[in-house]
Amino acid sequence: MTGERIKATGWGVLFTLTLAILIVAGSRNLSHFDAALVGYTFAVLFATFAITYRYAMWLQRPPTALYWKRGWQVFFRPSYLVTNIANWFKRVIGEFALNNFIFKRNKQRGIAHSLIMWGCVLACAITFPLVFGWIHFETPPDDTTWYRTFLFGFPTLAFRIHSITGFLVFHGLVWASFLVIAGVMLALRRRMRDHGAAALQQFGEDFLPLILLFAVSVTGLMLTASYTWMKGYAYDFLAILHAMSVIFTLLWLPFGKFFHIFQRPAQLGVGFYKDVGEREAPALCRRCGTPFTSRQHAEDLIRVEKALGYRYEIEGSAEHYQWICPRCRRAMLVLGQGKLWQDVLGGESIHIDFPPALPQSSLGNPRIDFGPLGDEDKRNFHP
Amino acid sequence: MSIASDNPDIIERFGPHLAYSSDARLATGVEPDKLVDTHCCFCGQQCGIRLKVKDNEVIGFEPREDFPFNHGMLCPKGVKRYLQGSHPDRLLSAYQRDPREGFRAIPYPEALDRVASEITRIQSSFGNDAFAVLTGASLTNEKAYLMGKFARVCLKTANIDYNGRLCMVSAAAGNKKAFGIDRAANPWADILRAEVVWISGANVAECAPITTNYVWQAREHGAKIIVVDPRITPIARTCDLFLPIKPGRDIALFNGILHLMIENDWLDHGFIDEHTVGFEAAAEHVKDWTPRRTAEVTGIAERGIRQAAEWWGQAKTSFLLHARGIEHHTHGVQNVLGAINMVLASGRIGREYCGYATITGQGNGQGGREHGQKCDQLPGARDVSNPEHRAYVAKVWGVDPNDIPQAGVDAYEIFRKIDRGEIRGLLSICFNPKVSLPDNSFITRALEKLEFFVVIDFFLSETAHHADVVLPGSLQEEDEGTVTQIEGRVIKINKAVEPPGDAREDWRIIQDIAKQLGREHGLTFNSPREIFNELREASRGGIADYSGITYEKIERQYGVCWPCRGEDDPGTLRLFEAGSWNPIAKGAGPFYFPDGKARFNAAAYTAPAEDVDDEYPVILTTGRVVSQYLSGTQTRRIGPLVDQYPEPRIEMHPRLAEKLDIKDGDWATAESRRGSVTLRAMVVTTIRPDTVFIPYHWAGRRSVNQLTISAQDPISKIPEYKVCAVKLRRSNG
Amino acid sequence: MSVHSNMEFFVDPMRCIGCQACMQACTECDTHKGHSMIHLDYLDRAHSVQTAPVVCMHCESPTCAEVCPADAIKRTEDGVVQTARKPRCIACNNCVLACPFGVPKMQTEFKLMMKCDMCYDRTSAGKRPMCATVCPSQALFFGTREQIEELRPRSTPINQFRFGGQIITTKVSMMAPKAARAEYVDVTAAMNEQATGRTITLNILDGMCE
Repeated sequence: MTGERIKATGWGVLFTLTLAILIVAGSRNLSHFDAALVGYTFAVLFATFAITYRYAMWLQRPPTALYWKRGWQVFFRPSYLVTNIANWFKRVIGEFALNNFIFKRNKQRGIAHSLIMWGCVLACAITFPLVFGWIHFETPPDDTTWYRTFLFGFPTLAFRIHSITGFLVFHGLVWASFLVIAGVMLALRRRMRDHGAAALQQFGEDFLPLILLFAVSVTGLMLTASYTWMKGYAYDFLAILHAMSVIFTLLWLPFGKFFHIFQRPAQLGVGFYKDVGEREAPALCRRCGTPFTSRQHAEDLIRVEKALGYRYEIEGSAEHYQWICPRCRRAMLVLGQGKLWQDVLGGESIHIDFPPALPQSSLGNPRIDFGPLGDEDKRNFHP
Repeated sequence: MSIASDNPDIIERFGPHLAYSSDARLATGVEPDKLVDTHCCFCGQQCGIRLKVKDNEVIGFEPREDFPFNHGMLCPKGVKRYLQGSHPDRLLSAYQRDPREGFRAIPYPEALDRVASEITRIQSSFGNDAFAVLTGASLTNEKAYLMGKFARVCLKTANIDYNGRLCMVSAAAGNKKAFGIDRAANPWADILRAEVVWISGANVAECAPITTNYVWQAREHGAKIIVVDPRITPIARTCDLFLPIKPGRDIALFNGILHLMIENDWLDHGFIDEHTVGFEAAAEHVKDWTPRRTAEVTGIAERGIRQAAEWWGQAKTSFLLHARGIEHHTHGVQNVLGAINMVLASGRIGREYCGYATITGQGNGQGGREHGQKCDQLPGARDVSNPEHRAYVAKVWGVDPNDIPQAGVDAYEIFRKIDRGEIRGLLSICFNPKVSLPDNSFITRALEKLEFFVVIDFFLSETAHHADVVLPGSLQEEDEGTVTQIEGRVIKINKAVEPPGDAREDWRIIQDIAKQLGREHGLTFNSPREIFNELREASRGGIADYSGITYEKIERQYGVCWPCRGEDDPGTLRLFEAGSWNPIAKGAGPFYFPDGKARFNAAAYTAPAEDVDDEYPVILTTGRVVSQYLSGTQTRRIGPLVDQYPEPRIEMHPRLAEKLDIKDGDWATAESRRGSVTLRAMVVTTIRPDTVFIPYHWAGRRSVNQLTISAQDPISKIPEYKVCAVKLRRSNG
Repeated sequence: MSVHSNMEFFVDPMRCIGCQACMQACTECDTHKGHSMIHLDYLDRAHSVQTAPVVCMHCESPTCAEVCPADAIKRTEDGVVQTARKPRCIACNNCVLACPFGVPKMQTEFKLMMKCDMCYDRTSAGKRPMCATVCPSQALFFGTREQIEELRPRSTPINQFRFGGQIITTKVSMMAPKAARAEYVDVTAAMNEQATGRTITLNILDGMCE
């Protein structure tokens, strides 16, 4: 076992144990724990281990490790802390709660993702605490028409069983399934019609998660239908079916597309890194002299590339290829090919009676979407 | 209200607005209703393209890899051509010029009535010739044929001419004088194994981009590429020999090369003796064109001229291409003849990989000049002044030969006649003279003098701003028909969508006018196919003989090269092959003269009409950019094409710029004796220091044709777009 | 669906005429409709019309993918380095800056890197990529090795590129002269090269028309 794996296993064990302890504690020594849900609990514990393990492995990859470290460093840098905190709230709301960037990619995609995401969030918020015994409901002894909610064994809000609140609370999972099913349908529709998606999608990566979510939601709804309208017809069978779909989904979390749920927050760290980079010293291209990113970023990339085994060092004043901007890289590629032809074919080149300077390349078409895709891209490709 | 191309009210309503992909055109999950195999509407190469159609809208394209000329290749114009459909500027009804509103939509029948009554009034008061017709070389063969017939049979006016007058006429006249026929002598496939490819005055990479691959393929097999141009165009950048000629001096170079060919005996004596006449006179004529003198006149180093002559003279196979660069001159025909002399002296024509061609510029540049919309011509490239030709066409048309008017005047002369009050009314289709004709402030004045002006167009072109009535015509994809591309190959344009709103196919509009005039004889066709079938008859026995071409044969063979004289005739891919038959020589030889022999013509050098002097010391030359087409009526409305080259710039050499204290991106004013234009400077070493270049696709204050000179070639009547004298200064925009 | 193993992409910038048909056509491809993924730069417009068309070279071990902190860039079994996977990409710019060919583009608004994926929707279905199909100069060519050998007898495809101490091997090849017998294109050695036409044998622009 390599050091990385040992480390990752350690983190996995730690997180899993912590969760187990919390379950025991939160359910008051399992007094509120529903034994029927033990299968779910073990699936969650396994998922916790696997997700933590994968996350820890992931964090140890050179680029991720560096971003992880830098993300926290710049976040806590005293001079930026206040702004960073403000930005943190702004971004969590805009990027995570509202999915702004997904809507910009594609409106349909945005709607589908929001529906699925909020459906899942709601469902998780209800089921996990219930399964772990962290939440339970009790009827106050004096009035059987009321319910009181207990969180971690502490009493919280109470509501009338036959009230609208009661209806909404007890059917929370129904609403969640509606959201998820609608989202899954939209997503599937797009996946089946869109030519671009058709080329790139894979069953395991793109369809299986949707199928799992659909299965969980539909079997869940069938359970509700069974006990509400059909006097519990086939309830046990449906319960097993539902449990299977949920458990499979939980076990799949660390491996497939769902893992992005845990990776995605890294986006926040990247944001702070870029914010700070923009305010500090830029990297100047050592061929054309134009700033193209932050110096920190170029230096960090050199470190990462070395760690990955790349040998982009060059002789001469440029030192490392990372100090060459993307546009000069493209120019040099083509000049390199041109030189091979020139060496072979000879001929006299155009004589220019102007001081020899390095050729300054420019974009053939600087318009957005032809040259750069946006402002940041423009900076990377030179203004 | 004032009618100017920069009139904000008209521009607000009719554009040019920029169209970008949206909705179905941007969606990635839309299945088209159908795919239509057709051709690009821009430029004479007529690349095959497959249009995607959904709900009567062209929503995109797919490269048409089965079409043998372009194998799917397209330039940016072809890629974005689909955006001209469903355009916000599209004319959806007839319009009448209104003093208050600018233009007011009116019902189509009302517009027709107005047109017919004005034509009748003008013709009855001032004679038939007082009403003129201007047409274009982007029209299909069917429409071109119909326009000629409409003018001669229905309007009975002599004054019909077309915008090919600004394009291919010098080459046409030169070819007729030398070969007796006006068509590219060879298919483009003959470029592929030529040992030398000579390109004179042709910005191939930007004006005929697909041809680039043919040239590069020749080079892959060892060809030497010689490019003659005042600018290092993209194709010149990697050519083997670049001759940076001074604009307007091409003939000197051709004569100089012929001189060296004779001096070194790089001649095909067998071919010259057997297949040509006039060599002695031509040889005598170029005697004085020593390399030294040639170098002095052309501004090319003697070494370059000698190298070019050596390669050209000693090649076993070759292909000479030229385009507007040598044709847009007051001696354009002489330039063409000079080039042909070089080809004839080498004997390298009429064989595989031995070719010569002009690169036609407009969509139907070739076919548009064959079927009778030219002032001196009847269908089948027949001559309007030849009694036999008149009699034949009169028979097809069912009219008295004497009723066919004699030759009219050229397009520019039509405007001079308008200015003099000899022409009072004008119908214009597929032509934007206000942008495309030289000295266009004169054109604007003339347009305002017209008593009645009717325009048929799909967008309100700058010329249409002056119209009394505008009739909504059809886009290329809204009608079917044939066009004849760069190689003389007749190809089929297929209808993809129906014309929107009140718009309709141009041929229907013309026939509607004829009907309204009560002179519908011979103008009652029900489809382009019917028109084509009559065109085939009318061209039968002529030089441009289409009689054996059918729509089916075109689809089957991916085009048919004319002449095609019968059902079993697959067409003529290559002209002048040994032993070939033609109706003029009748077997005497491969060329289209009674003796079957080609003609050398002593090509006389003359300086441009307006040479530089102390007051106007810089040569102005004009041309195209790759993302725009002609007067820009279509391409200035396609967003991504405009983005690629948003505005015209004055291209100048740093040495000239330094003298004028102009830096790259500065505003600069170029002024000629006729007008001035202020544009941003583009300072580059890729142009001669004595020359500036401005592309001509823009209107109004950005139109370079405010500066150009209306001097014309005495034979072809082509204006001298490629040379006039200007002075430059820095400006504040 | 995958790209047929016979079909390869060959680039010859010496042929490029800068017409931008590739860029315009690139925006028509369904995997990135509306955005052009191909680069076309003037190398030195003040002195030359030379243009540089650059598509993704599809490295065998892609630097962009290895420096990606989010595992967002995948190379499919047919050797195509795909555009960033949408759920994973966190728009960090590492790939944009590290790609030795300067290829990836950053769409910050989408929080997404986008790059040329060799028109995967087309090539995986047996069609040719948009850019190479329309390219009027065939500077971009997509076809079999036999075809390119027949069409370009002077040239040989090279798929190795040197950047300082690093050699990168790619799926896409660049056409080099046979006579040069080069093993690789030396990119970093071209740092100080001038943009020129190949053999404009005579420069007559000099000493004339004062």
